[in-house]
Amino acid sequence: MRAGRLILYVVLIFLAFVYLLPLWSAITTSLKTGKQVTMTTPIQLVLPPYFGAYKTAFSELRKPILNSLLFTTFATIFSVMIGSITGYALSKLLKGSTSKKLLMFITLGIFLPYQSILIPLLRIITKLGLYNTIPGMILTHTAYGVPITTLLFTNYYHEVPDELIEAAKVDGASPLKIYTSVVFPISIPAFVVTAIYQFTNIWNDYLFGVVLTRGEEAMPATVKLANLKGSFVANWNIQMAGALIVAIPTLFIMIVLGKYLIRGYTSGAVKG
Amino acid sequence: MRSKLREESLYSLLFLTPAIALVLVFVYFAIAWNVYISFTDWKGLIPSYRFVGLENYRTLFHDPVFWTSFRNNIILIILFVPGSLFIGLLLAVLLDRKIKFENGFRTIYTLPFALSFVVTATLWAWMYDPSDGVLNTLFSMLHLDFLKSNWITDPHVALYAVILALIWQFSGYTMVIYLAGLRSISTEQYEAAIIDGATPLQLYRYVIIPQLKKPTLSAFVVLMVFSLKAFDFIWVLTSGGPGTSTFILAVEMYKETFAKTKFAYGASIATILLLLSFAIVLPYLYWSYRGEKE
Repeated sequence: MRAGRLILYVVLIFLAFVYLLPLWSAITTSLKTGKQVTMTTPIQLVLPPYFGAYKTAFSELRKPILNSLLFTTFATIFSVMIGSITGYALSKLLKGSTSKKLLMFITLGIFLPYQSILIPLLRIITKLGLYNTIPGMILTHTAYGVPITTLLFTNYYHEVPDELIEAAKVDGASPLKIYTSVVFPISIPAFVVTAIYQFTNIWNDYLFGVVLTRGEEAMPATVKLANLKGSFVANWNIQMAGALIVAIPTLFIMIVLGKYLIRGYTSGAVKG
Repeated sequence: MRSKLREESLYSLLFLTPAIALVLVFVYFAIAWNVYISFTDWKGLIPSYRFVGLENYRTLFHDPVFWTSFRNNIILIILFVPGSLFIGLLLAVLLDRKIKFENGFRTIYTLPFALSFVVTATLWAWMYDPSDGVLNTLFSMLHLDFLKSNWITDPHVALYAVILALIWQFSGYTMVIYLAGLRSISTEQYEAAIIDGATPLQLYRYVIIPQLKKPTLSAFVVLMVFSLKAFDFIWVLTSGGPGTSTFILAVEMYKETFAKTKFAYGASIATILLLLSFAIVLPYLYWSYRGEKE
């Protein structure tokens, strides 16, 4: 039995090394000079570390990171707010088959291959004068975030007992008042899970960014990172530094708030 | 009471309007518009809506690149979907044994899934670099030279290299789904089986695996739909190359539409993708909707 446990831990630790290998070699490589990259193996950490690659990568990525932070934050807030009021209406104000059908209607968008709306989306955004702008990115990510945020909130509010709302109704409160004073305060856990889920998804997006932006005015960090591949061919230290800089927000979320993100995944969520 | 009801429906209208308006425009109207574009001759940057019927689809079905992309998409589905499910299940079973530092291990295995595909594609470009890259260097050090390869620069290997990296990224997700499924099995069920004298193998066969049907199905749908729309990772890692060896439908759609500005032709590929995805999703939604009613 003890030997069995030992083998189990050896296997788990071995797998941990395998899963971390790409990240580990990125960290070591990002801390080397170009010469050290070719002279040493990617597994090896060279001391003292060299931060020049980070300096170069960051100066390239600075503006796109600010863009991403800006539109990701606002699109997260909007899509979560809309998801919350929609979920409340679908689970507490409407009942029966109308609510089920509307939920289906809205959440079908979760499974949409975005290629199938990409050309019209580009036309709509251009027509609205929002091509290559932050508001254009906010609108797009809000619209395609709503299906999943609605699903997460509807599932959450189904668990909230109706009596809680009935009680407030007897006191003569309007649905809006019930939402702000009863429903909203007890939804904080759902807000945390959904917001973290949305932030990660929007930050990580590439497809919308590459189609809807051109210059650095609104270009997301992911698009700029992909472009670095072309402008710094074989400068692996700069590419790895760039990749790690873009990964910081989601790595932080996974390491510190991982349990909320995982709850988002397990409540029927999708990526990509 | 009557006015109360009217007030409620007024409010539900108010609450539902933003979501319904957004979905109506950005999902349903956009889908319809895309299908319409696929019946036109729109080429170049200025929209043209001259109706040409099924012309684009006819061209598409005679386009060898379309069939290469289709074939690669099938290979991707056949290897990536079961591969991610199996490795995720394996990780979940290993972790579900009252492991010390379970949270630590779980975070490590799910870390790749939290990263952008652009980030992971950049990391794997370095992993797979044929000259100084991580894998070839590592295999040299360990005297496993027979494992060395040209990876993403070898047309016979590139697609499989892409699939391997995607399994690395997604197995943490399937692990999390399976772990939640395993944890939902009640201790009574375990105890009953053990009192009946079930061997560990029987325990898996008759108690645990049947309970994992639901998580398997939902992860299966997510992975299937992802295989159809997978674009970011492949585009950044290989751009579909070398040649067309890693072209899948989503890559071909992007290349035709935005690199060659053949919008109508791209729209027809997009429509095919949509139909394939609905063929997977609609039965699933029907199944889960029916399951809820029971």
